[in-house]
Amino acid sequence: MTGRDRAARVHFGVLAGLALILFGFAAWLEPSFIAPATQRDLSLHAFELALLALPMTCIIVSGGIDLSVGSICALAAVVMGLLHEAGAPIWAACIAAIGAGAVTGALNGAFIAALRVHPLIVTLATMAAFRGLAEGLSRARPISGFPPEFTRLGEGYSLGLPIPILALAIISLAAGLALSRTSWGCWMYAIGSNERGARYAGLPVDRIKIALYACSGTAAALAGIVFAARRNTAKADIGSGLELEVITAVVLGGTSIFGGRGSIAGTLLGVLIIHETRELVSWHWHHDELILLVTGTILVASVLLNNLASRRAD
Amino acid sequence: MKLASRLALAAAVALAACNLALAQTSPATPPPSKKTVICLLPKKKGLPYFTTCAKGAEEAARELGNVELIYDGPTDGSPEKAASMVDRWTLRGVDVIAVSPNDPQVLGQAMKKAREKGIHVITWDADAAPEAREFMVNQATAKDIGYALVDAMAKDIGGEQPEGEVAIITATLTAANQNEWMRFMNERLAKYPKLSLVATKPSNEDQRLAFQIAQDLMKAHPRLKGIFGISSVAFPGAAEAVKQAGKSGSVLVTGLATPNDMKSYVHDGTVKSVVLWNTIDLGYLTVQTGAALASGKLKPGQTTLDAGRLGTKQIEKDQVLLGDILVFTKDNIDKFDF
Repeated sequence: MTGRDRAARVHFGVLAGLALILFGFAAWLEPSFIAPATQRDLSLHAFELALLALPMTCIIVSGGIDLSVGSICALAAVVMGLLHEAGAPIWAACIAAIGAGAVTGALNGAFIAALRVHPLIVTLATMAAFRGLAEGLSRARPISGFPPEFTRLGEGYSLGLPIPILALAIISLAAGLALSRTSWGCWMYAIGSNERGARYAGLPVDRIKIALYACSGTAAALAGIVFAARRNTAKADIGSGLELEVITAVVLGGTSIFGGRGSIAGTLLGVLIIHETRELVSWHWHHDELILLVTGTILVASVLLNNLASRRAD
Repeated sequence: MKLASRLALAAAVALAACNLALAQTSPATPPPSKKTVICLLPKKKGLPYFTTCAKGAEEAARELGNVELIYDGPTDGSPEKAASMVDRWTLRGVDVIAVSPNDPQVLGQAMKKAREKGIHVITWDADAAPEAREFMVNQATAKDIGYALVDAMAKDIGGEQPEGEVAIITATLTAANQNEWMRFMNERLAKYPKLSLVATKPSNEDQRLAFQIAQDLMKAHPRLKGIFGISSVAFPGAAEAVKQAGKSGSVLVTGLATPNDMKSYVHDGTVKSVVLWNTIDLGYLTVQTGAALASGKLKPGQTTLDAGRLGTKQIEKDQVLLGDILVFTKDNIDKFDF
């Protein structure tokens, strides 16, 4: 076992411990919060965060970052809403919106690959541009009145679980396998560790980047559509600030912000911890202002614990 | 690796201990209290306007005794977070949820789900779609506001028959609230035949534009006696223009805004009256309404509500009316902090 592998396992162990302590504490504090029916319904609040964290993990592993995901959420939802309002069948509107997400994402990737500009700068620019486009297209007004078969997508149940969460489980599995078991996944780690080396080794670096950002855009579009379905509203300000929450979850999950290290399982644990903390704090204390403070504290605590644990493991 | 498994073991032990503690305490925990749980959701937590509303809500909860008040809302005003809060309260099974929706669409869906679960849902301060709630606690009707504005101007200008030219600076020409108020302002102006309305201009919710428009109005109508600024942005904008033109006292400005925004203009004489409602009473009445709904004292179709220290309040269809417009003058404005 290499040292890097061991460090990742230590981090995973620390996070799993944190999650267990969190659940134990919640069970002691608020038994009704921990009830399966409650957890099942609350899980819907984590959908957008979790879905976007999957491609974000791959992007950060390969040394990039995508700040435009929240804006693409809004843009896709607005595209879907406007098309539906104009008379298009709802599912056709959804497919068009997902297409828009894929195209805008691929555009990010193409800029990054062709111009060799840092992804932080490119997606910082498109974050503003896509949000502006969503606001302009919708004139910043909410679009509503979707048919029930569509809103079911956001809040309906199947096999005893919310439909979005079922979809999330499948997508997570696919993302996990892609990153850990395929050659493309392997190349992402290679690019993140040493991009120049990866190029010299003949890896299709640019193609991988464009594909990654296109995936991220597609996921963001799906998140925007599901949000619109859950709240029966599409508008230009949804998902604002979401990108930072997503990056926080990914980093908490043990992915190195400098690339080359990270896993989908770790990210999912990170999402779980952030989600449960947020819900529990609001559930028990009813103080919105506490949530950021507690999330920040957990992030710092996980870093400290991790340092301590890896030092002792060495 | 060894350490990771040790950590996991420690966590498992901690969890088991917690569960044990839970198992021991749960039979001893008292049966769920009979207190009525009322949740009050502001548009944005932390704004002085809503903080004073919460003060009144707490007062009502204390007076009623059997009410547990939960006051929480998004500190960033995000409708998504507000809707998530309504979801959580619905899952908790609270008795009443009172919402001031910052986005009636996004919150409407969550409110409807709460109602399906048998929770009483009301709106306060701002309304949502009628099917999303049972009652709205309305701070004032459009008629009250329109009449109060004109009466305040007439009193400020003074005299048996106040006379002179007046103008209105509104929000946008399509703003539903403002158009409704202006309809009643026109109705009330008929009572003062010597007051003539010479212009109505939009300020597009832009304080600098309101400032410019007030300057233009004073140039175009040299005999102008009064300006109504009927949005919280148009009012201070117009007051600033009059003050800078050195016409404080000769051109009177009145309108709707929070007292803190207008205090300096009231003290230097540019503004004599600020029209608004008592936000403390608004929070108080909201909790009273919620408690009455939960206890079955308030039912659809009722026309009055016994609201504690506020006495009997009128109900028009599904609107519980706070009713009293508050006029802030230099004598009382310092008593209010919002």
